[in-house]
Amino acid sequence: MTTTTAEKTTTSAAGQIRAGRGGVVVVQRRSNKPHMGQGLAKGMAVVIKHFADALLKRNDSRDEISGMFTVEYPEEVLALPETYRNMPVLLYDDETGHELCTSCFQCERVCPPQVIHITQAKNPETGKPVPAAAEFIIEYDSCMSCGYCAEVCPFDAIKMDHYFELSTPNHLAMDVHKEALNRPVSYYATIAPNLWAEVRDTALKKLQNNIKRRPGTIGVAPQALGKVAAKTPAAKVAPGAAPGAQAAPSAAPAKPVAAIGKNMPPEKVARLEAIRAANRARRGAAAGAPSHHEQQVQLAEEPVLSSAPPQGAAGPGAAPGLGGAAPSTGPGEDMPSDKRARLEAIRAANRARREGEGPAAADAPVQSAAEPAPVQDGAVPAAEPDKDMPDEKRARLEAIRAANRARRREQEGS
Amino acid sequence: MARLNSGELRELLERDLPGALAAPHSPPQAAEAHGEEENHPVLQEHDAVVVAERLPDVARYLRDQLGYSYLSHITAVDYLREGLIEVVYFFYHPEGGGPQIVRVRVPRDNAVIPSITPFWPGANLQEREAYDLFGVHFPGHPFLRRVYLWDEFEGYPMRKDFPKTGDKYTHVTGGEE
Amino acid sequence: MIAGTFTGTIKTEELQINIGPQHPSTHGVFRMITRIDGETILGLEPVFGYLHRNHEQLGEVSSYLQIIPFTDRLDYFNSMPNNQGYCMAVEKLAGIEVPERAEYIRVIMAELSRIQNHATALGFMLNDMGAMGTPLLYGFREREKILDLFEAASGARMMCSYMRFGGVARDIDDEWLGELKKLMVGLPAFFDEFERLLSENEILLSRARNVGILPKAVALDYSVTGPLLRGSGIPYDVRRAEPYSVYDRFGFDVVVGSVGDIYDRYLVRVEEMRQSLRILEQAVQQLPDASGGHLNPKVKQQSIRPPAGEAYARVETPKGELGFYLVSDGSGRPYRYKIRAPSFINLTALSDLARGHKVADLVVILGSIDIVMGEVDR
Repeated sequence: MTTTTAEKTTTSAAGQIRAGRGGVVVVQRRSNKPHMGQGLAKGMAVVIKHFADALLKRNDSRDEISGMFTVEYPEEVLALPETYRNMPVLLYDDETGHELCTSCFQCERVCPPQVIHITQAKNPETGKPVPAAAEFIIEYDSCMSCGYCAEVCPFDAIKMDHYFELSTPNHLAMDVHKEALNRPVSYYATIAPNLWAEVRDTALKKLQNNIKRRPGTIGVAPQALGKVAAKTPAAKVAPGAAPGAQAAPSAAPAKPVAAIGKNMPPEKVARLEAIRAANRARRGAAAGAPSHHEQQVQLAEEPVLSSAPPQGAAGPGAAPGLGGAAPSTGPGEDMPSDKRARLEAIRAANRARREGEGPAAADAPVQSAAEPAPVQDGAVPAAEPDKDMPDEKRARLEAIRAANRARRREQEGS
Repeated sequence: MARLNSGELRELLERDLPGALAAPHSPPQAAEAHGEEENHPVLQEHDAVVVAERLPDVARYLRDQLGYSYLSHITAVDYLREGLIEVVYFFYHPEGGGPQIVRVRVPRDNAVIPSITPFWPGANLQEREAYDLFGVHFPGHPFLRRVYLWDEFEGYPMRKDFPKTGDKYTHVTGGEE
Repeated sequence: MIAGTFTGTIKTEELQINIGPQHPSTHGVFRMITRIDGETILGLEPVFGYLHRNHEQLGEVSSYLQIIPFTDRLDYFNSMPNNQGYCMAVEKLAGIEVPERAEYIRVIMAELSRIQNHATALGFMLNDMGAMGTPLLYGFREREKILDLFEAASGARMMCSYMRFGGVARDIDDEWLGELKKLMVGLPAFFDEFERLLSENEILLSRARNVGILPKAVALDYSVTGPLLRGSGIPYDVRRAEPYSVYDRFGFDVVVGSVGDIYDRYLVRVEEMRQSLRILEQAVQQLPDASGGHLNPKVKQQSIRPPAGEAYARVETPKGELGFYLVSDGSGRPYRYKIRAPSFINLTALSDLARGHKVADLVVILGSIDIVMGEVDR
């Protein structure tokens, strides 16, 4: 029995009709042949041949259909292709220690099961958003491993990992946080060399731009914090910062940072350096003016993070005479002398008061390094460098701070 | 049987089955008063829109007279703003070619279309699905019961006014748990 | 109605037994409420919904790009044709052109998917018949080779989400094509061996011949598609009836059976694997070079907003005709997203196919229809 398409042509003995680009073929049922067991015998022959082949030869090529192809996992593993995607991981640069993620939220938006949760980092002094992620959570148990996050990331910060042995009885551990998600770029370059080579240059260039916009150690992978402290990358200093504890010997002052993403032309750099040198000389050097970055680093390593580091709030054992360091403002800015005098007076008064109350007053609630910290006790109110703070406002601020201090002491006492 | 071009079906239906075609849908006045709404689906008018009661006749006509004996697909779409549910039937010719699309528009609060299952068994599960998810009733169907959800389920989940979260069967997602 | 008969000294009654949903042979969580008289089935009522994940409403709240990984999970054996059908529907809706190389790559992936599906489906059907896994694992071995190719191209073995609007996610390189050609060298031997193992096997013949016959006269009325329809003798194949992608450039035959029983469907699937290999050879030969690109660069995948309208695109998956019906309202999310699932509609025929047969035959009939519950329940 044959069937035809719209254009009829002749039929052949096998029941095949060819018309145009292909015809209709009817399957052969072999109904006429008597079946007396030879089918079973043929089948057994196939099975025996496979059995013999499996003992004698190894099947390791895609055009072979018999032979032993067992891979004795976990002693032997098959090589995974580069494009294999299992779960996402975040990358951080080996050299600078900075994470590539800028919390642009593209991956969070595109994720089909919506398992990515990002919190953007904020500059602790100004409250402005910083291109770094404060918190990054992926729910591994719901992640589909579709790879969309890696596909859309404009900074090549999130990539798909190859590791698949993720079984765990701890369900809560399946909400993976940034610290556990971080992998060095060298790891990714090992598992996916070609894919990384395609994007390496643009990714690192974008990273350099972003590092300039990240103050202090925001955006540094926790795994690399120790390394970063030894270096002094460019940092933007917020106005109103006061020198902190144990003034370290002043290292090279921070490089000037111009508008975001742009480099300063060299003549401007020279001018800026000259101005700073002049300021430094004018300010004298009781203990030098440590760069803001170093202050931040010291503070970051201690459990207490303060934004405008006041005297004594840098932790236990702070020497009372810390306020000797001259107040420093933003680069290129000069604090007017009357303001400096007022600042010094306030600080002297605070120091005196604090010494009376003892080191307990210096304690502040422990905060994680990533969260923005409120302005601490005794910190100078960060006024704009060209405006005075009216007296009544200062008094009010002092009153508020005294009240906070008292409350905090109460909480610690309880 | 010749295969039809698009648009021919309407003419044939006008000629052979008078009264089967429905009047074109006119947008409600309220929509025009509000001005241009950004995102809204449009109702297609160039296909054959049939009144609900005549659908079995149209289906039989398509199959017996025109040779479109392969019913591929029955879909229900809920047009909330126009207040109607449109059920779309896709008929194909076994020799190939594109679909003949027949649409039936019924009001949302009284969605009743006579079933074509008695003479077209392929529509069985698809009409049950439209009933289960949209609440369109098909009198004449031999076994009109819910197909995906359990029988005691209340509501028609694919309708646009069925809450996507926070109905009596689920908790409110994204809120306090 | 109690079918109690009084045959001499034995009184029999009609029993209602429940097969599934937890059952190794029901191809997923599928429940059949059967009324049996002894071992003979009098009536059968399928119950679905155990894998209902509300995929269609999920589509209404996700953007067009975000739906692609979900379409993988419809017919989870064949993620490539699923993606292809969905991307075709969106491309129709938004008027996106696909570069030629991408079309060829799509065809190659779809045909590879067809080969691995048929090998597995037949293996599972024979498992249902009692061949304790031997044909299944022969099929699985070839399937593993194809899945390795999918993994190298898309990153995942089964849930590929490989297609994008206007092409494919990643291009294939010469190394991949080399592996594909090696695979194609080995496949004819595999098909011959598979047939030698099974096609004249007396056990298969006695269990599959003239069992579960779907008569040609009523096959089309049941709206069934795929090997189920073609086994009954109706040569309807979407690749030939309404050619999509670049299928009109390949010469291949539509394979039909004559009787419409399980044996015919088995033979149809084996022959379709050979036809898929034919298409693969032609596609690899005609594959354009990489200058055309593998993805239309003008399409913004994440923020695609097709104009208001509707589109229906259908592909021939190994299970049948898979269709995607999309209604757009001009925003970034579909207004209505409906899937015409072949396994779901093929099950319309199950109760009539099974009536009069034994319970053991029912399991094999279900295996020959080749359903995947991810598609049935969505």
